[in-house]
This record gives sequence, C-alpha cells and structure tokens, in this order.
Amino acid sequence: MKKVTKAILQDAAARLMFTLSDEQLEVLLNEFDILVQQMELIGHLEGVDVLEPMTFPFDVTVDDLRPDEPTQPLTQTEALQNASSKIAGQIKLPKVV
Amino acid sequence: MHFLDLTIHEMHLALVAKQVTPKELVLEALKRAKNNQDQAFEMITETTALAQVASLGEPEVDNPFWGIPFVLKDNFSTQGLETTASSNILKGYIPLFDAKVYEKLRDAKAILIGKTTLDELAMGGSGTTGHLGKTYNPYDPLHERQVGGSSAGSASSVAAGIAPLGLGSDTGDSVRKPASYAGLVGFKPTWGLISRYGLFPFAPSLDHVGFFTRSVLDAALTQDLLQGHDVHDATSFSGPVKKNAPLLNGQVQGIKIAIIKEVMDAIVDAEIKEQFYVTVSKLKNLGATVEEISIPLTLLNAIYPTYITISCCEATSNNANLDGIKFGPGFPAKTYIEAMTQARTLGFSELIKRRFVIGSYALLKENQDVLFVRAQKARRMIVNALQKIYQQFDVIYLPASPTIAPKFTDAADRLSSTYLIADSHLALGNFAGLPSITLPIGLKQGFPYGANVMSRAYEDLTALNVALAIETMMGLKNLKAERKHL
Repeated sequence: MKKVTKAILQDAAARLMFTLSDEQLEVLLNEFDILVQQMELIGHLEGVDVLEPMTFPFDVTVDDLRPDEPTQPLTQTEALQNASSKIAGQIKLPKVV
Repeated sequence: MHFLDLTIHEMHLALVAKQVTPKELVLEALKRAKNNQDQAFEMITETTALAQVASLGEPEVDNPFWGIPFVLKDNFSTQGLETTASSNILKGYIPLFDAKVYEKLRDAKAILIGKTTLDELAMGGSGTTGHLGKTYNPYDPLHERQVGGSSAGSASSVAAGIAPLGLGSDTGDSVRKPASYAGLVGFKPTWGLISRYGLFPFAPSLDHVGFFTRSVLDAALTQDLLQGHDVHDATSFSGPVKKNAPLLNGQVQGIKIAIIKEVMDAIVDAEIKEQFYVTVSKLKNLGATVEEISIPLTLLNAIYPTYITISCCEATSNNANLDGIKFGPGFPAKTYIEAMTQARTLGFSELIKRRFVIGSYALLKENQDVLFVRAQKARRMIVNALQKIYQQFDVIYLPASPTIAPKFTDAADRLSSTYLIADSHLALGNFAGLPSITLPIGLKQGFPYGANVMSRAYEDLTALNVALAIETMMGLKNLKAERKHL
C-alpha cells in the first residue's frame, strides 16, 4: 500500500471532481493516520486472505421474469425538470470544443 | 395527554372508536412540528397532509395506519416534494417518483407530516453534518447532546411526540443507535424484506430500511405493512412473507440468548451494564437460557475498519451521479468539468468529501486488494463467526450503545475498545443482513439508553418476541421527551 501523502489525497480528490483546501487536506491526512492504524487491524485476522470476498449479506435469487408490460417512461419535460440549465429540449452544458 | 401521544396501535383504536379524528391528530402534529426547536425537519408537509386528511372516508378497522401521522427521513424519494438528503448538492431536487415505502404508507392512508433531517447523504452517526446544521436530542433542552444519526430528525421528532412513526435508513446503525439515545424502538428487519426502491443509496450491500416507533407492537405492525417483494428492487426478497404482529406474544420460554463477553468488557459505564444484567435476569426468570460467549478480539476490532472501508468504497461509487447537471444547483462554468467540479466542491460538505477520498483511495488498483477486497473478506470472516453463534443460539443480546447520548463536545478515542467494539457492534446486523431491534431499558440522568436484540435472517419474529418480553418486564413503553407543545 502506498504511503498516504497530501499529493495522493489531492489526486484522489481531483479524480472525484472536487477540490480540497490545504486545511482540509491536513485534517484528512491526520484522519488517514488513524484510519490506516484501524485498517491494519483487518490485516491481523489470521486466514482472512483465503476467504471469498462477501459482496452482499446473502444471495437473493430472482428466478422469475416480470411480466412484459409496457409502461410510460419519463416524458421529456419530466426528464428535464431538475436540470438547472436547458435549451431546445436538452440539458445545456458549456461547449466542449 | 393528547391522542397524538398514544402509540400507533392505541391511536388506531381511538380513531376507530371515533374518540379522535385524523384531522385533529394531523393538526396537533403540524403544530408540534412547527414549534419544534430541535431542527428535526427539512420540510413540514402541511399542504399535502391537510389535503390527504380531507380525502379520508370512514375509519378502516383492519388498517392500523389509517389516519396515522408519520415522518420520513429526507433520503426517501417523494414525488413532487423536494428531497435533499440534507445535502446542498441536491438542493432543489424534486423526485419524479415515490419510494416504495412511502407509497405503501400513503396507500395505507397514513399522513406524512414532514421530511426529516439526517447526516448528509446518511453518511454519519452524530446528526451534525446535514446542511441545516445540528439536530438535537429532545431530552436535552440545553441542546448540548446529540440524538445520534444518521436518521437524526426521525428519531428526534418521534421522541418529541410529533408522530408515533418515523422512517429511517440503517447502513451501520443509523436507526438502532439513535433509538438508544432517544428512548425509542428502532428496528431494521432482515435485508431484502423491505424494498429500497427510492431510497438514496449509501452502501447498498449494507443499506436497510428501518423505522422508529414507541412500542414493539408498532414495530411489528410497521414491518407487516412495509415488507414484501418489489420488482423495482433487484435485491428484494421474492419468497413468501408472513405478518408478525398477529403472532407476537412475547414468549421467551426456551429461547437461547447469547451475550458477547468482549462487547460487555468494552463498555465502561457501570450503570448501563448493571441495568442490562437486570434485564438478563428477568429474561432468565421468564424461561430463556442466557449464556456469555466469546468472539476473538481481533475479529471484533475489525468491525469498524471493515465497515468504514466497504461503506466508503460503495458510497464513492454510488454518489458519482451527483454532478449538479441533471439535478441539483447548477454553477456557471466554462467547461462541463469545471461545472461538475464546482457543484461537487460547493455541494458536498468537508466530511462527505473526506469519506469519498477514503473510498477512492481504497479502490485504487494498488490498494484494492489490501483494503477494499480484504475488508470484504473480513466481512465474510465476521459473518461466519456470527453464523456459528446462531447454530447454538436464537438471538444475540447486547447494550445498543455504551453510553447515553453523547455531548456534541465529546471526543471519542477512535482506537479504543469502546469505539471499535462497543460503539460499532450494531454493524454486525448490516454485515449479515440480520433482523435487529433496539429498545429502551433505562434512563440515566434523565437520558434514555437501549439494548439490542438480533436474530437469524428471516426470523424477525424471534427478535420481536424477545424485545416485547423486555418491553413488558421493564415497563418502558411509549417513552417521550417531556417538552412543552406550545
């Protein structure tokens, strides 16, 4: 595991598409110190690495198909209702090129 | 006492006997909600509540929810009503459909009084991180103590007597811990029994719908109404479900109860421990078998890091759709990247951003095996240990919280056993999807605290019956904070 640095955290924030101030990065770095210590506790579990990862509490099998009934999808007006910026029946974004 | 101060079941009897009308209940609930000083509400739904009340016909004898006021955590979608999950990134978002649980309550003619505050996006346990600020514990007029979270507003308003039912969501303990701090029954049934359609996802492998009531019978009635298969939720249980309330009898004769010794050792508060053992003695007197069992400390110490790793990873991924473009506040920008970065920087609080960074870091290719995947394996190991216990015992019974409601200024030592074990063990129910119910067992300095009963998956009735036995013998039913309703 890479050592956690401010640069790594800044990079993670950038990929998550938000910015963190220097102060916030400092708090996060301190938090990581504790987190890494907590996470090491998982590594102390003997035999943990041979187990299958658990992705859900238990299998929920779906063995039937729902009826193929036509339903009314969202109208254009509804789909645009929550967008703050729209034009000509579409969501408006800043120019890409 | 007003009829609004009754439990759901008692209120139903009064409605059917025409001792009170739904309109009288709703007007009183709206009055109390408007006067609420504990910051429990994102929105009071007066207009829809009054319209719904006006449309009710004659009382429905077989429908315990007819005319019953309730509140809903603001991370459940409500068509036409702003739903923010207490986050600025969803400010102004108006869902186009209803969450399944809301639909079921509305169809049963229960009346929504308001949408309640939460820790932002349900990611927190203190009731302090929502965009409106702190939600307060109604037992503390000085506003020094938390009510817990993330379902803070639902817990606070039910404890304040504004409604006898509040819906919440529970990913680690977000219903069952606040229930302990607020003197309420907090129940999350088996994972999959209640549809999560329309609930904003936090960590779907751990998320459950849960609810606050003021009696165990009310909890059973609520489960009976809300459970059932839903084609809109792929994880919804499709087998037959039975109603628990008609079968509820509080019988514990022959029930085998396990107490985890290491969790008890991690609790420092002597008064809470003593009271817990009083309930244990009484359960024994009623014919239950109670044994203290052991789980390796290494495994219990791994609960919190396992939870935080899995939940942050899932949350990072699930909230990637919150970009401020399709919904939420838009910000002027020169590029779409700038627009999204602006929205996410200004829309999320610092705590949420930190959680996302933790999740993102644990998902990095070079870290994934030693963090995310290892946490999923640790979850398997912990659940295997639980299943071993359930081969011999019917329920696990423990204090729901190691303390009464903490003060906002209290700082926990996050590497202590109290924090890692006694404050985190309720997440076991989320790891394994087990039915888990908290109920009050005592008060200390005027503040309530609870115990928790957890049974095998799909054996929700067993947990409810043990809880009913405890409620009956302790006499702590329908607790409310003494607040003046002006």
